Amino acid sequence: MADLLPPLGTAQTDGKTKVDEKVDYSNLPCPVPYEELHREAIMSLKADNFEGLRFDFSKGLNQKFSLSHSVMMGPTEVPSQSPDTTIKIPTAHYEFGANYFDPKLMLIGRLMTDGRLNARVKADLTDRLVLKANGQLTNEPHMSHAMFNFDYMGSDYRAQLQLGNSALIGATYIQSVTPRLSLGGEVFWAGVPRKSGIGYAARYDTDKMVATAQVASTGTIAMNYVQKISDKVSLATDFAYNYLSRDVVASVGYDYILRQSRVRGKIDSNGVASALLEERLSMGLNFLLSAELDHKKKDYKFGFGLTVG
Amino acid sequence: MATKRTGAGKSGGRDSSILAKIANHEIANKGRRAACDAVYVSKKLLRSTGKAAWIVGTSFLILVVPLLIQAERDQMLGEIELQQASILGPPPPGALQ
Repeated sequence: MADLLPPLGTAQTDGKTKVDEKVDYSNLPCPVPYEELHREAIMSLKADNFEGLRFDFSKGLNQKFSLSHSVMMGPTEVPSQSPDTTIKIPTAHYEFGANYFDPKLMLIGRLMTDGRLNARVKADLTDRLVLKANGQLTNEPHMSHAMFNFDYMGSDYRAQLQLGNSALIGATYIQSVTPRLSLGGEVFWAGVPRKSGIGYAARYDTDKMVATAQVASTGTIAMNYVQKISDKVSLATDFAYNYLSRDVVASVGYDYILRQSRVRGKIDSNGVASALLEERLSMGLNFLLSAELDHKKKDYKFGFGLTVG
Repeated sequence: MATKRTGAGKSGGRDSSILAKIANHEIANKGRRAACDAVYVSKKLLRSTGKAAWIVGTSFLILVVPLLIQAERDQMLGEIELQQASILGPPPPGALQ
């Protein structure tokens, strides 16, 4: 009984000191990277629902080096002429991957049976400058591409420069304005379709919720809001509007992180209900079940998978 | 029997024409049309209720049922842990964690 009384006292004083602290504008925290602005919403709402079988096996050979094998069998959609019908072609492929993880250098390579090679590099050049490179080589001509990103992390801002292979140049900048609000912008210029664009983004986060908004000259306006109800539960909602092509999508989803499993569900304004269940059967063994019902197009996709290691 | 049933005040020969007059009267036509409309509307209502029930039912099956199952398993796991903690008691001060 005696040990119940002191914690109540200290909790109250902690709360008071948090409110009384003045905002120190010269010491703001570093903001999240521009492309991860909406990462909480993406984790809850854009779960990767798949169709068919998926099996991933990864084995660590060393503390830093690991190999991965993955098999995916199932129908893949082919874009069809009419929007009503979807053409599905059954495919199966195997992907071999090798990963090297170091505190300063990360190398990831993936090779698929249809001849595609995918490589990613992330290197910490200095304490504040990070180089990320991403390349994909394919058998088909003119489909290979590469992209290099240089990220600089300042005390309360981040700047990024992006260079792509078909004359693609982009730059993003994001700055913390208050301890909770960060604002950012991006510009890009693509050489091949001769297009340039500019966009702005804002993110407001507290302990319990995160709200972000993005506007781009390519026509997209996206807003999302994630509320953390408890340690295990969070609810998210998302609204995307394209003012050039006039399509609107709103979705609501939940994310339950329990001890042995993780359930994510989402319902859409296009009439799509989808859910993903990941369950930990034993140490290192995860079982995945995915379902997606598209009531408008009457297209139902179900998948199951196993992840080892 | 038939004459008794056709009742007071109407003679046998003029029965069919009076019945025909009643049957072809405007009110009877309106009643028929209303009955047809009612059947049509109720068929449509049944079909759309059926469609809505299907959509709601399958979405419920996908979105809610796995969640309930997993939440119940998590709760049972918590109960088992609580039981084990109460049986074994607190660990002694020098124990390995």
